[in-house]
Amino acid sequence: MQSVYYFIMVPMVYIAFAVFFVGISVKIVKILREPKQPMTLQIFPEKQPKWLWALHDTLLFPTIRRHKPVLWVFIMAFHICLLLLLIGHLELMADFAVFQIIPHEIFIGNGFVGLTLVVCLLYLIFRRFQSPVKDLSVPEDYYLLILLFLIVLFGSEMDWARRWYGYEELAVEDYNAYLLSLLAFKPELPYNTTFSGHSFMLVLHIFFANLLLIFFPFTQLMHSILALPMNKLRRG
Amino acid sequence: MDSNTRDDLLDLFRSKFNRAMKYYLETCTRCGVCTEACHVYASTGQTKYIAAYRHEIIRRLYKKYFKARGKIWPSVGEAKILDDVAIEELYDAAYSCTGCRRCMLYCPFGIDTQMLMSIAKLILIGASAEPEILTMLADTSVEKGKSLDLFKDGFMMGVKRLEAQIVEKWQVEAGQTAIPVDVEGADLLYVALAGAHSIIPAAAVFNAAGENWTLSFFEAVNFGAFVGDPTKTKLILDRIINEATRLNVKEVCVCECGTAFRVMKQLSGKQPFKVSSITDVHARYIREGRIKLDKSKFTQTVTYHDPCQIARNGGVIDEARYILQHLTDHYTEMSPDPRYNWCCGGGGGLVALGDETLDFRMKSSRVKVDQVQATGAKILTTACENCHTQLDNLNEHYKMGLEVRFLSSMVAEALVNGKHPGA
Repeated sequence: MQSVYYFIMVPMVYIAFAVFFVGISVKIVKILREPKQPMTLQIFPEKQPKWLWALHDTLLFPTIRRHKPVLWVFIMAFHICLLLLLIGHLELMADFAVFQIIPHEIFIGNGFVGLTLVVCLLYLIFRRFQSPVKDLSVPEDYYLLILLFLIVLFGSEMDWARRWYGYEELAVEDYNAYLLSLLAFKPELPYNTTFSGHSFMLVLHIFFANLLLIFFPFTQLMHSILALPMNKLRRG
Repeated sequence: MDSNTRDDLLDLFRSKFNRAMKYYLETCTRCGVCTEACHVYASTGQTKYIAAYRHEIIRRLYKKYFKARGKIWPSVGEAKILDDVAIEELYDAAYSCTGCRRCMLYCPFGIDTQMLMSIAKLILIGASAEPEILTMLADTSVEKGKSLDLFKDGFMMGVKRLEAQIVEKWQVEAGQTAIPVDVEGADLLYVALAGAHSIIPAAAVFNAAGENWTLSFFEAVNFGAFVGDPTKTKLILDRIINEATRLNVKEVCVCECGTAFRVMKQLSGKQPFKVSSITDVHARYIREGRIKLDKSKFTQTVTYHDPCQIARNGGVIDEARYILQHLTDHYTEMSPDPRYNWCCGGGGGLVALGDETLDFRMKSSRVKVDQVQATGAKILTTACENCHTQLDNLNEHYKMGLEVRFLSSMVAEALVNGKHPGA
C-alpha cells in the first residue's frame, strides 16, 4: 500500500505537472502557429478600451449574469473559491505577505471556502442532469465535474478536520515539508502524510488532482486560458 | 462514404483552421447559457437548434479526426465519424443557422457560431451536398465578372429604362444623367442589387444630394458567402473591388444587402476606398443638409428591423435611427437593446433558397413576429434585401397587416429637394 501511496504522491505528481505544463504549452504553440483570423469578428456597438472590456467579460461573466443570473451566482462563487483555494495551496508552501492583507490561518475562510465550492459543484453537476443542458453535455463535462468534486471534497475534509474538529495529527507543517521537498526535487513523505488516520484523504486528494492536471490541456478546461483571447475577438 | 472522399472533406475542414477557429473548437464548456439565444430554438423549442448543439456537431468531428483523444478515448467527447449521416446533420445545422451571431451575446466566451457553421458549409460543398441553387447563383456572379462585355449592352438598356422612371418622379438637373454608369473619377460607386427597387430610390437620393456617383455593373449580393465557398466569395467580391479601383472612386456604397455589406466592409481587407452602407450615406446627407425630408409623409407608427449583418455584425446602428428621426415623428424601437434584436430568420442563404425553405423560415421566426407585433407599428422598415423578403413573407403568413418597406425607399419618397412638386 505504501508503494501505491508513494507512486501517487511523488512520481505521479511530477508526471501530472509535466503533462499539464507541456500539454498547455504545446496546445498554445499549435494555436499560435495557425494563421491569424483575417476579418474582424467583433460585435457592435463597440466600447473602448476594447482590451479592458475583454478583461471585464473574461473575469465577470456579464453574459451569464444577464441571461442566467442564478447560474452566475454559482459560477462566480465557484471561480472565486477556486482562486482562494489555489492561494491556500501556495500558502502551504511559503508565507506570502500579500495574501495576509486579510490576516487568516491557512486556508483562508475557515473551511467555508471548500464548503461553498462543494455546494457549487453539486449545483453544476445536477444542472447537467436536466434538459437542455443534459442534451448539450458530453461525458467529459460530467467526468470533470465529478473529478473536481472528489478533489474538493477530500481536500476540504482535511481542512474541516483540522479547523472544525481539532484533528491536529496531519498539520500544516507536514504539508509544507512534503510540498517543499517536491519543489526542491528531493521528495520526502513526512510520517503523518502517509501513516496518520487521514492520510487516505490526502492520497485521494492528490490522486484526483493529478488526474485533473493530466486531463487539463486536452479538455474544455482550456477555457481558463482561451477565454481572454476569445473575448477580445468579440470586442474587436 | 469511402476513405478518399472522407480525407478530401477533412482537408477542407483543416483549411478552415485559424487561431479564432481553434479557440472556438477547443473551448465550449456546454454551459447552456446560449440556449435561448437562437431564434430557431426560441420559436420551435428543439434542442438541435441551440447554438452549443450546432457547435458540437462540428466539434465531434474535430475531436474524432484532429485530436489524439478521438483515437484513444473517443467516447469522452462523443467524437463522431464523418459519414453520410454526419453530412445530413451538418446540412441541418448549417442551413438552419442564419449567421445572425446573436448567440455571441450569450456565450461567456463569445463563440462565433457562424464561423463554426462555415466549416459545415465547406464540407457540404466538398460532398456536393450544398443547396445547388446557391452554387449556381454564385457561379453566375463569378462568370459575370469574367465576361463583363457580354452583358454590358443588356445592362445599359436596363439602366435606360430605369432612368425614364426616375425622371418621371424626381427632378434631374440639366445635363445630369439620372443613373451614371462607368464614370471614372466618381466620388462614390454604388453597388446595387438586380432590381429597380434597389436602384431607383438610391439614384433619386444621390441625385438630390448632388453626389458625384456611378452605378456598379455588378450586383452586390455574394452568393459565395451564403453557400460558404471562400474562393467564390473572394471572386465575387473582387469584381467590385477591381471596378472601384479601375474607376478610382473614393467610396464604395453597398446597397441594402446585409451580406454584401459585411463581406465588403470586413472581408475585403485594406482598400484605397472607404466602404459604407447606403444607410451610412443617407444619414450623412441629412447631417450635412444635402437632402431634406418631409416628415409628414409617414404618419403611421414606424419600427425598424436592424439587419444582423449591418447592425450587430456591421456596426451601422445609430445611423438608421438618425434617418428615422428625420423621416417621421412616429418611430418606435423594436428592441430595448438593438444588439439583441431577433434575426428575421432569412439570413445565411435561406431566403435565396426561396420556397424550399419557406415553411422552415415561417416556423423558425415566431419570436420575430411577436417582437414586431409588440411595437404596434404599422410600417416595418429595414435596410436589407433578405430581411425585407423574409419580413414580407412573415407579414403575409402571419397576417400581420403591416407595410414592409426599405428604409432607402422611404427616404426617397420623403425627399423635399429633388422631387417634382406634387409628385
